[in-house]
Amino acid sequence: MRRLALLSTTVLLLVFALPGLAFAQEGPSTADLSLAMDTMWVIIAACLVLFMQAGFAMLEVGFSRMKNVGSVVAKILVNLAIAALLFWAVGFALAFGTGNAIIGTQGWFLAVSPGQVNDVYAGLSWTQVPLSAKFLFQVAFCAVSLAIVWGTMLERTKFAVYVVFAIVFAGLIYPMVGHWIWGGGWLTELGMQDFAGSTVVHLSGAMAALAGTLLLGPRLGKYDDDGRPVNIPGHNMPLAVLGVLILWIGWWGFNPGSTMAAVPDIADIALTTNLAAAAGVLGAMSMSYMYRRNVDVGMGGNGAIAALVAITAPCAFVAPWASIVIGFFAGVIMYATLVYVDKIGVDDPLGAIAAHGMGGIWGTLSCGLFTSPALAAVGEPGLFYGGGLYQLGIQALGIVAAGGFVFIASLAVFATLKATIGIRVKPEQELDGLDIHEHGVFGYPDLVATDYQNGNGKISEPMESVPEGSA
Amino acid sequence: MEGPITQATGHNNTIVSVYRDRVELRSGWQSQNVESVGLRDVAVIGIKGLVNVTLTIETNTGRVFQLNRMALPDARRIKNTFEQQKRRAGLYD
Repeated sequence: MRRLALLSTTVLLLVFALPGLAFAQEGPSTADLSLAMDTMWVIIAACLVLFMQAGFAMLEVGFSRMKNVGSVVAKILVNLAIAALLFWAVGFALAFGTGNAIIGTQGWFLAVSPGQVNDVYAGLSWTQVPLSAKFLFQVAFCAVSLAIVWGTMLERTKFAVYVVFAIVFAGLIYPMVGHWIWGGGWLTELGMQDFAGSTVVHLSGAMAALAGTLLLGPRLGKYDDDGRPVNIPGHNMPLAVLGVLILWIGWWGFNPGSTMAAVPDIADIALTTNLAAAAGVLGAMSMSYMYRRNVDVGMGGNGAIAALVAITAPCAFVAPWASIVIGFFAGVIMYATLVYVDKIGVDDPLGAIAAHGMGGIWGTLSCGLFTSPALAAVGEPGLFYGGGLYQLGIQALGIVAAGGFVFIASLAVFATLKATIGIRVKPEQELDGLDIHEHGVFGYPDLVATDYQNGNGKISEPMESVPEGSA
Repeated sequence: MEGPITQATGHNNTIVSVYRDRVELRSGWQSQNVESVGLRDVAVIGIKGLVNVTLTIETNTGRVFQLNRMALPDARRIKNTFEQQKRRAGLYD
């Protein structure tokens, strides 16, 4: 009995004393918890943005013919790899390193001691998360911008072109625009609003795509003998829509994650993002029905993407009702642009110029129209809130400067490639499909359809090899 | 069927192929227009431009075929392969 009483007393003492002991020890401070939460949120957002590569892969595969799907996924993989390495080596320093109004000049290879991070990367000193988290989030953005470039150039581009251009784009072109607008450059100083990158990420990708497509030319069979565009349908609409939905989810990391902090605002940003995407689908589908009297699935998907692109810049600055207006008109503008681009002889299989280019322009301009005074953390309120034309002018200047720079720089790179190694595959490779010629396998080995070569319906014979200089 | 030695794409669905004994130009939406010119009948193949190159094929009968907006390496490959074939056939001194 005495033993039982002693045991009970000991247990009771432990129960009452241990919590006290625990509280007596020094636990994590509120600041530590805040940093941990912010870091966790940024890493989750980076995962969502990185997952957008899967969305782009499915979207491009769906809009491609089955003979080219292996090439699409190979391109996505190599571009992600190049973006990750180049942005780590030089791109991140050029974009966010402390430097001048044009470019960052410090912080190569992320080689910075922990105490100097905010001095070396002044462009991102406003967020408290560790340097690794900052980099992982930003490199995912760079990879998205690069992925946009190739949507227009599907099914006829040499693989080497993807590799070489990716190096220049991830290592120089994208970081320069990033520095101007996000990294403390001259457009930052002017107060340009581009919260998550309608211009930096999407317009940049689309302008590079336009430059490449102009030099590449349309696919064989895209235009008939009278110059009218012929529809070359993708082989799998469900995959394309799956890609759109993955991108839609990925945008929940893209826009809310750009706070780079776990703050309550992320819910509001996710709300504006979602409303815009929904309105974009309806805008594009309405246009499709009015123009063609049918509801085009691909256009619905592109409407969502155009709206998501458009809301990317103003997502943190506008009210929910404005996001619906922005998204709906993004869908409408995308459709009209797509039809126009097709008519003037620019073959854009994915609609990237319309969705990312015009979506990016409209979204960036919409900041100057719809930014609410209560939410204008950067720049001035929009025109519709009595803010005048100042912000709209800054937005337009940013579009012209960033878009123009990316277009000219990309045109120079693609022109150099065209004059040296060529940018387009041989016609037999285009007709047989890039999978077998460029990668040695079919995306669907048991089920492949190629275009007719010489009317015999077979994959063309290998070309005869004639030794150089033989007579 | 004998395969071409080399091929290249021009603007607007045009394809030029060099065979052992001829140059073939295909055009049209479904490559339905085919012009075949024998090695002996080609007077000269010319290249003009640096980025968007124009490949010109002139025949002895005065016909001129032009392929626009080609890449320089593609146009050079066509011209070199054609001239190589002419040499192989003994059509040059």
